[in-house]
Amino acid sequence: MTSGKSVRIAVLFEPGKKARPVWFELNRRQHRVQETTYHWQDCVGERQLLHYAVSDGDALYELVFDPADQSWTIHSQRTE
Amino acid sequence: MPDHRVILHLDMNAFFASVEQQANPELRGKAIAVVGGGGRTVITTSSYEARARGVKTGMAVWEGKRVCPELIVVVGDNRKYTYTSTRINEIFREFTPLVEAFSVDESWLDVTHSLSIFGSAETIAYRIKARILHQFGLRCSIGIAPNKLLAKLASDMKKPDGLTVIAPENVARILEPMPIQELCGIGKKMQRHLNMMSIYTCGELGRCEEGRLTRKFGIVGRRLKQMGQGIDESPVIPFGEEDAVKSVGHSRTLDRDIDDPAEIRRFLLQLSEMVGSRARRYGVSGKTIHLYVRYADFFSSWGKQTTLKSYINRSDEIYRAAISILNTVALEQPVRLLGVSISGLKHQADQLPLFEDERKKLWATQAMDTVNQRFGDMVVTLGSLLPDKESAGSHVIPPSWRPDGIKNIDII
Repeated sequence: MTSGKSVRIAVLFEPGKKARPVWFELNRRQHRVQETTYHWQDCVGERQLLHYAVSDGDALYELVFDPADQSWTIHSQRTE
Repeated sequence: MPDHRVILHLDMNAFFASVEQQANPELRGKAIAVVGGGGRTVITTSSYEARARGVKTGMAVWEGKRVCPELIVVVGDNRKYTYTSTRINEIFREFTPLVEAFSVDESWLDVTHSLSIFGSAETIAYRIKARILHQFGLRCSIGIAPNKLLAKLASDMKKPDGLTVIAPENVARILEPMPIQELCGIGKKMQRHLNMMSIYTCGELGRCEEGRLTRKFGIVGRRLKQMGQGIDESPVIPFGEEDAVKSVGHSRTLDRDIDDPAEIRRFLLQLSEMVGSRARRYGVSGKTIHLYVRYADFFSSWGKQTTLKSYINRSDEIYRAAISILNTVALEQPVRLLGVSISGLKHQADQLPLFEDERKKLWATQAMDTVNQRFGDMVVTLGSLLPDKESAGSHVIPPSWRPDGIKNIDII
């Protein structure tokens, strides 16, 4: 599973609502987000990171937005 | 306005597991267990589906899989849980400013003065449940009672998704047959002592002669009798007004049991750095250093402390003090857990050291703290910790965790 890899992404910003990832590209394949299943934030030093757990219908991905450098990365979900 | 207090106790049902099930729809309705990071595979919590199959907190993963072969193991993410808990406590504060977070998944609310605005306590409870379900998809159990002790007891009576009211007129009837171990504050050891006195139910505890209890337990005896009667005058203490913390500490269960002295010293250095870094962030230093060791058999442990002549908060000084304690003990078994704390705290005096070497150490520490505060804990750390930097953080949400930060630091 991919961890901390930058992704090309389309996100919908609507007034009064949380940002909503619409699709992202991983390994040159576009994944359309079916559902944002969870959202949370955390801080690394002074940087606040926004986490989105999203499903494309097949698998679950964690997308992370860093407002400091306007970057989106994809992180792994670990289950055994 | 009621003639008694109205307290709510909210308990998020199987909190960590429920958050994981919400985050991953594939896990919903399934038996899952949440484990901490690292090589240890002890179950931190499990879903109700897993509990129904016999999976219990504290079991090793292999034990869990033995009783429930389809058990799905999820590595927990404390950031997800603390963020969710903080947001949930914000919902509580929309109903009353008197919110006391007991832990990451439990809070008390004193809604006595909110009833004229929101209606009954049941209305408040249902509204809170609806908000949490709508925002996070999570369920909670709520107890409503005239005090904290009974509200907690009530929330434990129906899980998951319960709402239980203990009205003042029903307290005696409910407590009469209730086993004493159901009361918050009566652990296994206390239960054993009380059972030896032929006290098994709250009714029996409440009727017991106070002198008999105080002779056995000292001043706690009076409190025990009151608990048996359902009396608890303790207030709901909102964040910032609670008793101050008297120490700063970290402990860590190691990924595997270790007996190599060099490895033990390395973990002690890591803990000392974590303690020192936190103490410096709070601007405190301490005189008493405490070292705690738990052995591989889980049940044997020891703790020793030393009090220094001067106050310290630099990681290397804490480490040296911890090592000096360790050197006085011959380890009997491999080590499972290590803990370091400093106490006897006072506000740090910014006094420049007299000697240049000491001044350089102070400046290096300050530079390291500045970088870490900006870019994250342990981004810059001691060279000897580097190979294990990935697992440098504590995997446990500390008891001192609160929605708005860490509890007050006590000073002398």
